[in-house]
Amino acid sequence: MLTKDFIGLISNASGLSKKETEQLLTTMNAIVRENLMAGKAIQLQGLGALEIKERNERVIVHPRTGERTIVPSKNQLVFRPVANLKDELKKI
Amino acid sequence: MEEKLSWTELRRALAARAGVSEKQAGAFLNAMQAQLVEALKSDKQVKINGLGTFKLQAVAPRKSVNVTTGEEILIEGYNKLAFTPEAGVKELIESGKAESSEPAAASVPTDPIQKLGAQAEEIVDILGELGQSPVEAPEEPKAPEMPEPEPVFIPEPEPKPEPAFIPEPSFVREPEPMPEPPKKKKSHFLRDTLICLVILLMLLAGGYFFLRTELTTIIMSFIKPDETEIVVPVAADTIAVAMPEEEVIVEEPIESASEVEEVASEPKPESKPKAKAKKNNTLTEDQILKEFLEASGELAGPTAEYPDLITTEPMHQDSRLSWMSKRFYGTKAYWPYLYDANKDIISNPNDIEVGTPIRVPRLTEAQRDTTSAEFARIKQEAEAACMK
Repeated sequence: MLTKDFIGLISNASGLSKKETEQLLTTMNAIVRENLMAGKAIQLQGLGALEIKERNERVIVHPRTGERTIVPSKNQLVFRPVANLKDELKKI
Repeated sequence: MEEKLSWTELRRALAARAGVSEKQAGAFLNAMQAQLVEALKSDKQVKINGLGTFKLQAVAPRKSVNVTTGEEILIEGYNKLAFTPEAGVKELIESGKAESSEPAAASVPTDPIQKLGAQAEEIVDILGELGQSPVEAPEEPKAPEMPEPEPVFIPEPEPKPEPAFIPEPSFVREPEPMPEPPKKKKSHFLRDTLICLVILLMLLAGGYFFLRTELTTIIMSFIKPDETEIVVPVAADTIAVAMPEEEVIVEEPIESASEVEEVASEPKPESKPKAKAKKNNTLTEDQILKEFLEASGELAGPTAEYPDLITTEPMHQDSRLSWMSKRFYGTKAYWPYLYDANKDIISNPNDIEVGTPIRVPRLTEAQRDTTSAEFARIKQEAEAACMK
């Protein structure tokens, strides 16, 4: 499902206009990004948490040349669904 | 990441930013949450621009074993909620957070490597205590050390020798086949022109020869039927000339023919091959080349260093000095002598033009000694020439 359809769904459920919904959604995304950049995780009620995880630096070996290179550490955005949702979606 | 932006905080921030009431913001967020779940159930995938994609991924059922009873059990398939951040967001997070995590990253890198080294040492120590030979010790610790931190380490020792090996054979081979392509073109052209030349030569000679015999027979026939007085003196003369000529047919006409044609047959002591060629009307490439070379006076004679030649042979297509050496001396080893005897003609032993006359010197006993300093010098010289 694309963003457009999703906005339509929210609009129907909340009674807000599509335009308002779209604006709210983009604003929410902006807030989420800003907070993530500030080092805060985002708790989305009933859904889960968006948080940043640090991936450690690691050594990889080229299988053919045996060359070793270091993959620098980096941060990843991960989503951890809440247990309820996880269970709910396990069987559909 | 201890701090968390709660649902309430998000709602407030959203209301403030978007300029709507908190109630409205709350309604939106709740609707979004509920609809996201519904959409995931129906569509299995929801894309939110500016954030990422939520996706339900199916995990296939798999077999497992009950650890306590050893019974085989089937773990049923299920769905897993996965989130893939949008490319822009991902980059933002990766780049933006890199600074803050740098100090932490700096301390991390050496850790695993140090661990490996420490473990290896430990294992060496343990093995040493057990009284194992020191030769085995450095090799063995690697194996146990690998699976733990980096299973990918295992292929490391094997692939290394391979890439080092591969370039070698190809490098050795290269110089030989390289000069071939240009040779082929040259030789074809040369051969064609040579064949044309020889055919022309033979036609001329044949024509001359034919005319001569024809003339005599015409004259002969003239004489026989009516021996008129007017003709007799002329006929007698021609007969006298013609008769001996016919007997010496093989040698005479050739000499005269070649003289007439001026293709120069002066340095040609043996007229046999030519006579033969005329009779059979077939010529091997060798003979053509030889004739041509001899005729054009390019034939390489004996030199001061190699006064005694076995023969002089034109370079064949696809031939090598080493092969000629094998043919004449029974071993490829003496090819440097072939180069040495012909170095006035040959610049690079690997790139000799087809048809180049090669002197094949008769080797003395001293020269046949491959351990002599003289041979080493010649060989070195010849090999250096190959590099040109």
